[in-house]
Amino acid sequence: MWRQVTYGLRSLFHRSRRDQDVAEEVEQYFEEATTDWRSRGLSPEQAKRAARLESGNLTTVQEQVRSYGWENAITSFIGDLRFALRQLWKHPLFAATAILTLALGIGANTAIFTVVQSVLLAPLPYEDGGRIAVLNTRWTNSGHTIPRVTGPDAGDVRDQASGFEAVSLYSGGSLGVQLRDHAVFTGWAGVDSNFARVFRLHPIAGRVFTNADAHRAVMISEQFARDNFGNAQAALGQTIQVENEPLQITGILPGSFDFPNKTQVWEAYPLRPESQSRTAFNYKAVGRLQPGVTFQAAQAGLDGISHRLEIAYPVDNAHKQILLLPLQQALTGETRPTLLLLWATVALILLIACVNVTHPQLVRSMDRQQELAIRQALGSSRRQVMQPVVLESLLISLIGGVCGVGLAIPGLHGLLAIAPEKLPRATEIHLNGWVLAFTLGLSLATTLVSALLPARRAANVNPADALKQDGARGLSRPGASLLRDGLVVAEVTATFVLAVGAGLLLHTMANLLTRDLGFESRQLLVVEADAPAHSEQDAQRVVRQYDELFVQLAALPGVEHVAGIMGLPTGSYGSNGYYSVSGGPPVDHDHAPWANWSVASPGYFQTMDIPLKRGRDFSSGDLDGSQFVAVISESVARQSFGNSDPVGRQIRCGLDSDKWMTVIGVVGDVRQESPAEKPGPTLYMPMSQHPFYANQIHMVLRTQVQPVSLINAVREKIVQTNPEIALRFTTMDAMVNQSMTTERFRAALVSSFAGVGLLLATLGVYGTMAYSVTQRTFEIGIRMAFGAEKGDILRKVLGHAAMLAGWGIALGLLMSLGLARMITSMLVGVSPLDPLSLGIASVVLLIAATAAAFGPGWKATHVNPMVALRAE
Amino acid sequence: MGAMDDSNTDVIQGTLDMLILKTLSLEPMHGFGIARRVEQISRGVFKVNPGSLLTALQRLERAGLLDAEWRQTTNSRRAKFYTLTRAGTKRLEVETADWTRRASAIARLLRTEG
Repeated sequence: MWRQVTYGLRSLFHRSRRDQDVAEEVEQYFEEATTDWRSRGLSPEQAKRAARLESGNLTTVQEQVRSYGWENAITSFIGDLRFALRQLWKHPLFAATAILTLALGIGANTAIFTVVQSVLLAPLPYEDGGRIAVLNTRWTNSGHTIPRVTGPDAGDVRDQASGFEAVSLYSGGSLGVQLRDHAVFTGWAGVDSNFARVFRLHPIAGRVFTNADAHRAVMISEQFARDNFGNAQAALGQTIQVENEPLQITGILPGSFDFPNKTQVWEAYPLRPESQSRTAFNYKAVGRLQPGVTFQAAQAGLDGISHRLEIAYPVDNAHKQILLLPLQQALTGETRPTLLLLWATVALILLIACVNVTHPQLVRSMDRQQELAIRQALGSSRRQVMQPVVLESLLISLIGGVCGVGLAIPGLHGLLAIAPEKLPRATEIHLNGWVLAFTLGLSLATTLVSALLPARRAANVNPADALKQDGARGLSRPGASLLRDGLVVAEVTATFVLAVGAGLLLHTMANLLTRDLGFESRQLLVVEADAPAHSEQDAQRVVRQYDELFVQLAALPGVEHVAGIMGLPTGSYGSNGYYSVSGGPPVDHDHAPWANWSVASPGYFQTMDIPLKRGRDFSSGDLDGSQFVAVISESVARQSFGNSDPVGRQIRCGLDSDKWMTVIGVVGDVRQESPAEKPGPTLYMPMSQHPFYANQIHMVLRTQVQPVSLINAVREKIVQTNPEIALRFTTMDAMVNQSMTTERFRAALVSSFAGVGLLLATLGVYGTMAYSVTQRTFEIGIRMAFGAEKGDILRKVLGHAAMLAGWGIALGLLMSLGLARMITSMLVGVSPLDPLSLGIASVVLLIAATAAAFGPGWKATHVNPMVALRAE
Repeated sequence: MGAMDDSNTDVIQGTLDMLILKTLSLEPMHGFGIARRVEQISRGVFKVNPGSLLTALQRLERAGLLDAEWRQTTNSRRAKFYTLTRAGTKRLEVETADWTRRASAIARLLRTEG
């Protein structure tokens, strides 16, 4: 065994010495044989012949002996590889184009797959994260599901469900945290002591809190400790304040942990949920399954509990089901369609790239038909003929793959730069072994796709036929041009589908950008402000302070109007729910009227340019002690009061009290979440009457100057009044923009990919047309000799290209119809069969294909018949 | 590198190795010497073709059953001489025993049949 390896290696690296050794031994054998025959009395000539007769041909024997050993397979492979490299070197334009084309295709796929792998496929970065589940509430009658639970429902699950190691309730968001001398906005979550068990948290300093620490302790992230205390050790034991509650830092969590949603501060909440209402969905819940318990089994247990609760609380828990969802699915579910769309897009690009590489290889293998035919006629095996062709392809694909990874790295950076902030697990996205394996697989697959056709054709050459053909004279197999035309059609089809997708998403984007939001977003500075408030007195003091601030800020030069709001459109705060009106039609419980709930200061509608349609705005007279009032938007008026005047009517909702409120005014509807949403019903209530919902607000400032230029002046004023208010600045335009990042991300990526696809397809059509014109030079020469006009020749070439494009577009239309379902949910104000997008895509492709054929066509009209007919 | 598909079944398939080993157990020899010796001892029944023989020698050498060395021949030419290694000797014993057992079994079979 050892000798096998060493002898093989030795002969591999000292090829000539081994060859010589064999040659000498064989020669010596023949000499001995000759000598032997001579010793039996033959003449030198006769002896030589006798030896030959007895032992065969000397060279053949040498060949036979030399071919022994495993190293010979490698040597022949290296020979073919050298040949393939030489071939590429001799055709640098072909090689460069092919490699670049594949690099683009593979690079795009690598970048997108990196995101897909890191976000959708890679396990969560939590210890045994596959067993963590999220509890959702689902209504079985409507199918409606929300990712929240009520305190008592989740508490019952914790007490009764088997199969869970731990169930944790939490709620969170972004709020102001007060440090010794200043306040900062940060991601915050109130979590019970089971939270650390569910995620198996190991603090890098200190300890996890226990149930006894409720409302007294916090854990903070390493990042937060560094930013505000210098380091983890310095932070330990310090006190911070949230809503005027002093909390001691008992543990520091590693920087990689930020669940839920970029949280940096985890406050200890009691295990027994404080909210005991079965209709207030104040919590989110996560649980860890015990080892060996499947999600299905756990769900079956939950179904039993849901059923018992439905019987025990027939009103509150009617049709309510607690639904289990793997955490990974819950985190990434929303992003999934977008990523799959992008994946499909880059797959099409790769298809186009493969076709682009297949065509010239096919052409070259046809040009080499005679050479290959001769090789076959001389006895080369099928494998021997195919190997160099496949090897050449493999080289192109592998080099293309390496370059593709090179392109994917900056591509990935660009992609993450424009990725929506909502993209889950964004920090975990990076190239890794899986991605590289995927890319390698992709390279091999492209080799298969792009080389198999040419290689098979090379191997299937019938020597007799091939030698009779003469490509240069247009005497080639009829199937050859059909195959090339097919490739062009496939390319146009794929590009058309990409172009339609890009068109639809861009049209969506255009719709969003030009939409009337119901308010004026320009020249509006937005200040996110959170003043700590624990008691009702605190909250009322904060509201008075805000009111004073609005007056002071309005006095700043450049500021026109100032107001405050809890529930700013596209903002992070807000509430919503069902409401009822007095004297209205009897309420159908399954279809109760629903609205967004906002809490505003006087002057809000004027500041936002939301038109007041009837009645009046809030005023400083609407105080806590006086009659509760509300302003409604037109949709509320329409759905609950019909044609009658709503002003003076009574309305109530479950925001914080069940007091009836008098409707004092009607304003225009706004698009609350994003421009993609329909203008919806909103119920506005004054800050002064709902102080508990008025300490964490957005201040809006209508300015005459650049909004951001006022930031310093505004900050100074607010800090002077109350340094405990945590502040964050932005503009309304930026917020609206932010609300469209997903749509923009999709539109930008799909249209750039469509652009790449179009470029590749144009190159492909050009290449095919140029080749077919060159090949038909002889035929064109004859036509011209018989008096064909230049115009006719050009028309014929362009007509051919247009016909192929037409076929591609027709097939593309069919494919787009089939794929429409996939994209419908991503469109706003556009039908998936949008005639504009389909029309533009068709025209663009038709023009691109004809334009690509124009160069070769022009060349065809300049064929000199005399030269063409004489040419060899 | 066309394969040699000579139809002269000079040596029974699988016995060439054994014949080589047996021949070399007498004394170190070069390729042609082995061929002639096999022919002589078998009184012309076995003819060895040089392609197969030299390939087999390489194989046996790599398997560690033979050692090879360039040496002067009796008529003072350089030739590659093969020597049996210890492993080669052992292999020959095994193969001889094996062959004898099988041959006698076949002989018995033929006798009873006849």
